[in-house]
Amino acid sequence: MPLLTGVSVDQILFALLNGTIYGLLLFMVSAGLTLIFGMMGVLNFAHASFYMLGAYFAYTLQPLTGFWLAIILAPVLVMGVGILVERFILRHVHEHGHAHELLVTFGLSVVIAEMIKMVYGKFAVDYRVPAELNFAAFSLSGIDYPFYRLLMGGIAVVMFIAIWLLLTKTRVGIVVRSAIYRPQMAEALGHNVPMVFMGVFGIGAALAGLAGAVAGAFYTTNPNMALELGVMVFVVVVVGGLGSMGGAMAASLLIGITNSLAVGSDLRIADLMSLVGMGGWAEDLGGLLTMRMSSLAATLPFFIMLLVLVLRPSGLMGEKE
Amino acid sequence: MALRTFARSTAAMALAIGATAAGAEPLKIALVETLSGPQASTGLLYRDAVKYQIGKINDAGGFGGEPIELLEYDNQGGPVGAADRVRAAISDGADVILQGSSSAVAGQVTEDVRKYNLRNAGNEVLYINLGGEAMELTGAKCHYYHFRTSPNAAIRVNTLLDGMSEAGVLGGKVYAMNQNYSWGIDVQDNTVAAADRLGFTVVEQTLHDVNKIQDFSPYVQRIQAAGADTVITGNWSNDLLLLMKSASGAGLDVRFGTAFLDQPGNIGNAGAVAEGHFLSAPFNPEVNQDQTAGFMEDYKSVTGHYPSYVEPVTVFGMMLLQEALKAVEPTEDGLNAADLAVALENATANTPMGTISMRAADHQAVLPMIVQEVSRDAVYKADNTEFGFVPIKVIAARDAEQPVQASCKMKRPG
Repeated sequence: MPLLTGVSVDQILFALLNGTIYGLLLFMVSAGLTLIFGMMGVLNFAHASFYMLGAYFAYTLQPLTGFWLAIILAPVLVMGVGILVERFILRHVHEHGHAHELLVTFGLSVVIAEMIKMVYGKFAVDYRVPAELNFAAFSLSGIDYPFYRLLMGGIAVVMFIAIWLLLTKTRVGIVVRSAIYRPQMAEALGHNVPMVFMGVFGIGAALAGLAGAVAGAFYTTNPNMALELGVMVFVVVVVGGLGSMGGAMAASLLIGITNSLAVGSDLRIADLMSLVGMGGWAEDLGGLLTMRMSSLAATLPFFIMLLVLVLRPSGLMGEKE
Repeated sequence: MALRTFARSTAAMALAIGATAAGAEPLKIALVETLSGPQASTGLLYRDAVKYQIGKINDAGGFGGEPIELLEYDNQGGPVGAADRVRAAISDGADVILQGSSSAVAGQVTEDVRKYNLRNAGNEVLYINLGGEAMELTGAKCHYYHFRTSPNAAIRVNTLLDGMSEAGVLGGKVYAMNQNYSWGIDVQDNTVAAADRLGFTVVEQTLHDVNKIQDFSPYVQRIQAAGADTVITGNWSNDLLLLMKSASGAGLDVRFGTAFLDQPGNIGNAGAVAEGHFLSAPFNPEVNQDQTAGFMEDYKSVTGHYPSYVEPVTVFGMMLLQEALKAVEPTEDGLNAADLAVALENATANTPMGTISMRAADHQAVLPMIVQEVSRDAVYKADNTEFGFVPIKVIAARDAEQPVQASCKMKRPG
């Protein structure tokens, strides 16, 4: 099998673990986006900007409060920004329809990126994993596995469970869900529906802020980070199905793991074609057919998105068309 | 469109009338850089450096008794924007076009300039490439009106490998990790080509997508599996930072040999992770202290920060242009680009790092390179950290020089 030559079990294990953790990070950011869309029908272009704000807020707070308090306070601040955005910008635009919301949030993302550049400069800032958390959790055939990666994965899992319980098992969850499906009825029963929407938007923003505060220290905190992750987050939400929390989780893991496995693989389309006796022809043709999987890794999520849109336009677990 | 052309020609006429009254028309130099968007940080550094040295030229009397006029155009980071801006610059009367960040953009600009010059014989414009380091620009795409004042992939990689080998840190197993476009492929090819000469094996070569990857741990795993001692990479910006951080997080004991580790923010973000890694660059503030210190302070007093990354070599390139301009007679409409091309081929400039010159055969600058290591002992610290770059080996211009590529078939006028 050309698929597995020179690959040890340890390596595959590592690839799976890496992919899972990266997927969980993607979930942390896309959870807020899909929550907001699922509940309010707002496709928030500025969502990845909240992720960036979370990282920069935590970077600013860290020297004053220490790391742990910083990653707790940063999402709270981002929630504040989110609430302001909903109350004073989105609410006025909502009645004009989706195109206006998209444009407003797109503009907002540009404004946030430029403001970050003005305040913090154009280059990456020195927001790092604190020394006491910077150690290896375990070691497998010579490679250390950073503890912080496990921590990021753990936070994402806790977050997923918390949102799930909040929405399905509590009274708040019932009010929120009813406000989404029957806003007039919920209002008639005395619930403040605009307040519910504002809260949902704020929480969604806070989730992205938390992801930024945690991941910004591990990756880099720079003015382009919203752009870098933003596209991938949209891919996740589309693949998972707009508005579906479970779908976002499934899509994040799918994309994280395929990406991680693809990087480690030297498989070429020509190799696959040789299984049906067309290998020689593919070699002659060259081009895309003889490209290694590893150099196409970052393109795979988009390929998955294309496939899902063709075969199941509502996404893996989406209900809305 | 018609209105814009009209407005432009009216403006040009007004300028022309104003200029004739004052004497000869001032020389116009156009900087076509990425001044907005995600990649603007590097473009703005090019602008600072160009402005600095043009200020010096104008202080010394400018050109033909008139100060040089610097026109700025934002190419928005891509070849499409650049093509449009180059057209605008030429129609605004620029005789020289400057551009540096991204080989992809440089490839577009050099082709546009070549084609324009074919159609407008006798009225050529000159392209000075301040930082596009892909080999094809002085190889298959080379032409008489393109000049590169920065090093290229062959110079970077060979000086880096020589310096690391001599310092005894190269090791026997080298991993080539690069971005999948012209520059990254050149770095990979040059690394492989140097293997026999320096006696190492290239255990694996990887090309990956450019600035799209957040999580480098799968790549680090490959480096580990290959058992590499050293990773040679042309990566820049996030692709370099994330790769280094990921390797350090995995406890991988490899040394990185890089081309762009000195980009502002890198050392600040990587911190101790960067310690001991190598860089080959055309500048280090600790070399020739007696001249360099003055340059450092003067640059800071003008721009507000010490020169780093692409700034010093850009200043040196503009010094070369300054020397060439001294040998050119001004004409009524600025200058004759063909004259300037001849003068540039013969120009040498004395920079704080040593003498740089232009090779006539392929218009590649011949310049000294400094192999350096990230260390706590550095005099000038990077990004307010305790780390900076300590020179390990200064490679003289003629030793850093690499052979002219056979693919360069330059057609000389006349």
